Amino acid sequence: MTGFRDFLAYLGALAVLTWQTTIAFLRPPYELRPMIYQLDSSGIGSWSITALTAIFTGMVLALQFSSGLEAYGASMYTGKLVSLGIVRELGPVLTALLVGGRVGSGFAAELGSMAVTEQIDAIRALGADPVKKLVVPRVAACMLALPLLTMMADLIGCFGGMIITMQEVGVTQKFFYAQVLETLGIVDLVHGLGKSLFFGYIIGITGCFVGMHTTGGTEGVGLSTTRAVVASAVGVLVSDFLLTKLFIALYG
Amino acid sequence: MASPYDVDPIISFRGVKKAFGSKVIYDDCTLDIYPGETITIIGGSGTGKSVTLKMLIGLLSTDAGSITAFGTEVTKLGEAGLLPIRRRVAMLFQGAALFDSLTVSQNIKYPLREHHWGDEKKMDERVDEVLEMVGLPGSQKLKPSELSGGMRKRVGLARAIAVEPDVILYDEPTTGLDPINVRRINGLILSLQAKLKVTSIVVTHDMDACFTFTDRIALLHERRFSFVGTPEDARASPNRYLQEFIAGGKGTLEEDVE
Repeated sequence: MTGFRDFLAYLGALAVLTWQTTIAFLRPPYELRPMIYQLDSSGIGSWSITALTAIFTGMVLALQFSSGLEAYGASMYTGKLVSLGIVRELGPVLTALLVGGRVGSGFAAELGSMAVTEQIDAIRALGADPVKKLVVPRVAACMLALPLLTMMADLIGCFGGMIITMQEVGVTQKFFYAQVLETLGIVDLVHGLGKSLFFGYIIGITGCFVGMHTTGGTEGVGLSTTRAVVASAVGVLVSDFLLTKLFIALYG
Repeated sequence: MASPYDVDPIISFRGVKKAFGSKVIYDDCTLDIYPGETITIIGGSGTGKSVTLKMLIGLLSTDAGSITAFGTEVTKLGEAGLLPIRRRVAMLFQGAALFDSLTVSQNIKYPLREHHWGDEKKMDERVDEVLEMVGLPGSQKLKPSELSGGMRKRVGLARAIAVEPDVILYDEPTTGLDPINVRRINGLILSLQAKLKVTSIVVTHDMDACFTFTDRIALLHERRFSFVGTPEDARASPNRYLQEFIAGGKGTLEEDVE
């Protein structure tokens, strides 16, 4: 029972931090430089790993669908399924899981080290707000970077899918391209990118929250890093289900 | 508590209670700080001496009781309300808590910027001035990782005094330093005391230093200040725990018996 209560307390504390972050984000002065720095290190720094994951995901999806659909004589529809699967689901979720592992753990380690060396206390003692200084640029950078990375993952994933579909099923590039355009509507794009925006928020806020609440010296920093990765992955997967349900209810 | 001076205290703790989970730090923390004095808080490791300092500037919340500073009730203030208090009460953290990603100069400018000290040129001048005061002129461009433990403490001190506070809180200023640096930091505290006419609250284990520069000593024992008085009073006090502390037992004897 205490586990459940701890969980509720954790959600409550996250909600409070979200509120503080929003207020601090809206209140001037607006400091762009730290945000751009974070965008560079967390967003641009993640593009290669995202691209690699996306191309292999697209290729493997094409393999699975082309052979699976063959039984029904429908393997020429592989393009439809691959593009839909990537744009709606695998693009946003896999990108979020990767960035969560890479960036969320980094936030937790950095802010965790600052917490155990009293640097976060020092920020407050010197008259500044750690939420404004540390959390706002990181969360904002994640929320901007994730949809952009997801868009890139969608493109590269579909490209990977196309290569394999052309090879396995024998469709032309033109046919695949037409099929993707016919299948995907703006709703699917919004569905995927809307989710990735929310995933960006989850990764940023979880990493910062876990980091700022680190105790217990260097050992605590290690624990926080692990905890941030697990918590953001769980957050992404659970909210993915709920958001997908919501989007389907709204737009089909 | 009768005033040992002819003035009103600038900081008062009244019946403050504080616990972390089930670990009670203070049952009844009551203490007055008078303007211009240097008061040293002593007590066993892990008894929560620095908690006193952190509650005073609102870094930690209290569970009950009242803390007033300059006539303002601190425990009721939000982060924005604490800003004027934090300008007047500066803190030197145990590990100096310098920002690793910033240079020495940027570290010292941090509070100057938050408290709107002036333009870039005025801030540069102030940085030079305080670095001179702590005996580290010319170190503006160094990163904290390039500094020794003693130098970090001194930069931390420079950062603390940059905004001309009325009160300086020292959290174990000499812990973890070699004897030469211990003497240097203690000398610095003394000279700043004389130069800036500030009120100082020092949390320390260093009994020698405690007796050389302190006006009063407060002993934290069993979740309250069981002794508050001058070093002479302390030597004459019948408080057994205090005597062990002075003798260098640092309270371990009694705790071992328990």
